[in-house]
Amino acid sequence: MVVLRAHMCPGLELQLVRDLREADISTVEELVSADLEALAQKCSVSYKALLAIRRVLLAQHTAFPVSGADLYEDLLSSTAILSTGHPRLDELLDSGLYTGELTELSGGPGTGKTQVCFGVAVHIALHLKQGVIFIDTTGGITATRLHQMLQTESSSLEEQIAALQRIHVFQLFDVFSLLDCLCSLRRSGLQPVAVGGACVRAVIIDSVSAVISPLLGTRHTEGMSLMMQVAALLKALVKDFSVAALCGWGCAPCSGGVLEPPSPHTAAAGGARPEHTQLQLLKVCNAHQVLQTALSHESGV
Amino acid sequence: LCSDWFKTMQGFVLFARLEARRSLKDIEPRLFPDNGGPENGEVVEIFGPEGTGKTELLYLLLSRCILPLSAGGLELSVIFVDADFSLDLFRLVSILDNRLHTTDEALLRSCLSRLLVLHCSSSSQLLLTLHFLETSFASRPDQSLLLIDSISAFYWLDRAEGRTSYSKQEEKLNKCSELLGRLLRDYKITVFATSSSAPSPSPAPSHSSAPSPSSAPSSSAPSPSLDQDKPYLCRAWQKLVSHRLTCSKSEIVPKMATTTASSLMGPKRRRATQFTVHCSSRNKGSRINHFTVTDRGVEFITELNQD
Repeated sequence: MVVLRAHMCPGLELQLVRDLREADISTVEELVSADLEALAQKCSVSYKALLAIRRVLLAQHTAFPVSGADLYEDLLSSTAILSTGHPRLDELLDSGLYTGELTELSGGPGTGKTQVCFGVAVHIALHLKQGVIFIDTTGGITATRLHQMLQTESSSLEEQIAALQRIHVFQLFDVFSLLDCLCSLRRSGLQPVAVGGACVRAVIIDSVSAVISPLLGTRHTEGMSLMMQVAALLKALVKDFSVAALCGWGCAPCSGGVLEPPSPHTAAAGGARPEHTQLQLLKVCNAHQVLQTALSHESGV
Repeated sequence: LCSDWFKTMQGFVLFARLEARRSLKDIEPRLFPDNGGPENGEVVEIFGPEGTGKTELLYLLLSRCILPLSAGGLELSVIFVDADFSLDLFRLVSILDNRLHTTDEALLRSCLSRLLVLHCSSSSQLLLTLHFLETSFASRPDQSLLLIDSISAFYWLDRAEGRTSYSKQEEKLNKCSELLGRLLRDYKITVFATSSSAPSPSPAPSHSSAPSPSSAPSSSAPSPSLDQDKPYLCRAWQKLVSHRLTCSKSEIVPKMATTTASSLMGPKRRRATQFTVHCSSRNKGSRINHFTVTDRGVEFITELNQD
């Protein structure tokens, strides 16, 4: 709901806003849906003026129509594929993480999700020389582990330090800080405060479920709506800035049956149970379509 | 002066109404019961849990509309309102490429230029966008199809905003539905909207109290669980819906018909995902179809090649 304020658009003076408020019109939606003739008489303002204001407000706040052809051209020029550093993982993901898409990594505890996230961050920072934003909600990230992984890939200290500088870490432990962080990243155009210079190409969140699962499963609706807000923010971020997003989602450890981990848009309660712990890789192209591929856990990812 | 202008505006709207819009009854006759395709001014709701092929069905309808007549299309303009970033243009282009049988860039571009995409991020923006689209429908009689993916995208956000009052929770979707109803009556467009089923915490009891007319024939459908299929969006929306396509999916293990087939398939038995769509139309009966999703998009399975 966008509240009407004076000078939002030419012709919308303070007095008019007051008159409209007295006529029970306080938001843009109400003005756009109202009967303008009757309103013009009530607020003693000309019908044409109201119509002009309505047209401008509508143009300002409505979704911007884009032709499919233009959208396709944009996508072709801005989509990139980021290799994850592991050839077999790349194969599963159809050659890597796509910018403009959200990939979910889900599995039970101890299945290697965090290590995969670290590996991807290290590869992108060191070999692809691009910036990475790492949002840690479990307290699992340590510079020593990242350094250890970097040391196996490169022997030059300057390179390792440069790579570490390209990984920007945010540590937060509740959903409101997560929303706040994502909002401020969106506002600042994904240029975090730290010195780096490298353009951010990936946002890795380990893990989203740590902040959302405690809120789900109750009768209150806040959990679901907060989850939808996080998802919407992430998808908007990913589309607007052409970055790839990798999110971890922890499932309950299971035994017996086929693993069907919930995607971020169903309640996180248990679900069915597989026979052994499995690292499942899900490619989430949008909120409601999930392509599943199972990758069995390999030690030393 | 104002009233003259107003009368001219009314005349313009009347003209747009009278100009017949292309009927989309034949858009996909396999989906609907015999002679029961969507008439002008009707809403089709594609309902089902996630991953059951709803957006794929939209791609099917979309490609049918924007493809040229030579490729089996209708050459119509389509407006796609994307509420949850689910439009995957690469997927759409690969479906179009498969159906066009050519790699002619210009032809692809001309198809895509018939598609207009609008991203909405909240139900308020959806309401404003529908108001904006009114002028578009008024001035372009070739636009007869509106696709919304999905109408339930903001359900949880609205519920949280409305706190404990059900009327406040449903207020925005109610307004969108009323506006959509008016656009349907005035401009006779056809609307297809997807809606995701079963938000797992129990939906508010007031939604389930009144059975909507369009879901009555579906009680005989082999749906997985009645709770999951219950319509939970606001009453105003349920009244608009004339046809309901309920989607579900199942894993099937294909039977090895002949030895040649089994040797071609390789050592492992592959599980194929089969999707089912059950259509129930108000006063027109119902129909069930099965399909799989391939590179060409939705491929219906007929009894002849079902195995």
